[in-house]
Amino acid sequence: MIATRVKAVSVAILVAAVSACSTQVKLENPTIPDPLIDKLPLSVAARFPERFEHFVHEEQVIGKKKWTIDLGRANSMLFEKLFGSMFTEFQVVPQDAEPAGLGIDALIEPSIDAFEFSVPNQSQTDAFAVWIRYRIKIFDAEGTQIANWPISAYGKSMSSGISGGDALRRAAVLAMRDAAALVILQMDKATGISALSAARASSQTARPSASKKAPGAEALQTTPTEELQDDSG
Amino acid sequence: MIPANLSRAGLYLLPRLGLIGLAVTLSACVTSRVEDVRENGTGLSEGEGVVIMAKSYHLGNETEADFISCVGDSIGRGSSGLRVVPHTEFVDALFPWFEPRTAPAETKSLPELMQRPGVTEMIADKGVRYVVWLDGDTDRVAGGGSMSCAAGPGGGGCFGFAWWQNDASYQASVWDLQGLEDAGTISADVSGTSFLPAIVVPIPLIARTQSKACKGLADQLKLFIVSEEPA
Repeated sequence: MIATRVKAVSVAILVAAVSACSTQVKLENPTIPDPLIDKLPLSVAARFPERFEHFVHEEQVIGKKKWTIDLGRANSMLFEKLFGSMFTEFQVVPQDAEPAGLGIDALIEPSIDAFEFSVPNQSQTDAFAVWIRYRIKIFDAEGTQIANWPISAYGKSMSSGISGGDALRRAAVLAMRDAAALVILQMDKATGISALSAARASSQTARPSASKKAPGAEALQTTPTEELQDDSG
Repeated sequence: MIPANLSRAGLYLLPRLGLIGLAVTLSACVTSRVEDVRENGTGLSEGEGVVIMAKSYHLGNETEADFISCVGDSIGRGSSGLRVVPHTEFVDALFPWFEPRTAPAETKSLPELMQRPGVTEMIADKGVRYVVWLDGDTDRVAGGGSMSCAAGPGGGGCFGFAWWQNDASYQASVWDLQGLEDAGTISADVSGTSFLPAIVVPIPLIARTQSKACKGLADQLKLFIVSEEPA
């Protein structure tokens, strides 16, 4: 009896000690409002890689505790909401779907290149900060990649009055909203996606003469996607 | 020397009254200055309100979230309280045009913002006439002293003296969304020194610099916005 109690107390102390050294943060249904924008007249599909659908970041802050940040389906929800508001027609297709035969103007494949965060001990402030580097690949109706666009999003939340986990969660949501704002503001300029509708229409009319490139295709191929400034602070 | 009519309870209370007297004598001191600079006339019509926002952290601002809530609550409170639209409701309704990256940094960007689809209508729908942009923070600028505490089977206690000084410096810029112009700026600078003397029991004498800055700024903002003085 006593041995059982000692064992239970030991386990409880061990669990408490381990949990004191690690924090888990999970994003569930982050609020992404409906954007106040005009839709682009495009038929667009999105496919989300497996890692993007269930993104988990683990990091041991040197000399401090371990953080596990589970973004879950938050990224897919963000981009579904975003693209659904940006384009007149939008659908999500399976990961292995190819654009040819879908009857769309463009296929978008977002992914996460990097996820970083800082805690107050590191920044010597009261703030938690999150950086997310997304990559957005765009394919035309034939499956040719026409843009490969990296975007750096940033979110910051002060920790006063809330727990560290809540502050980090809020910073991550702010970074995702920042990414959405960047996509709305710069996507067409950076990738030329709006030209794809006209390109597909003209390629359909010129289809009998087969392998001609769609008008504007060369310009789209040379989109300076890597030259965008990174002003994430 | 103890008066004969002083009861046992009185004897018990005497040291405590002494401590309270000491606390009053040493009470934390705070100095504050609130000023406004008016650029244009203001005023509120029926159904119009204000929204309190923090300047973007992309511009280096570190205003505390609880300070923003405090100013919003204080402006909306009382018989002369103004109608305050919650800032999350406003930012969500106008997404993505008031995100930290996209929010206008100066009034000359307002005409372009108002041209965006649905923005003017949404601002009118929310009844927001003025945006108040808060900037600034509270910092600990000095401190000193020492204190040691000990505990044993018979009890514990502390002995020593510590002090620290906090400076709260905030600015509020008032933008008129009807005239698309800067109505003016209000600043609040509050400096306070807190003390923590301890003779067995620590007695905190806290200077509430941030809450005093909040109240000073909110009271002045209320007067500033309802006043219709021209420039």
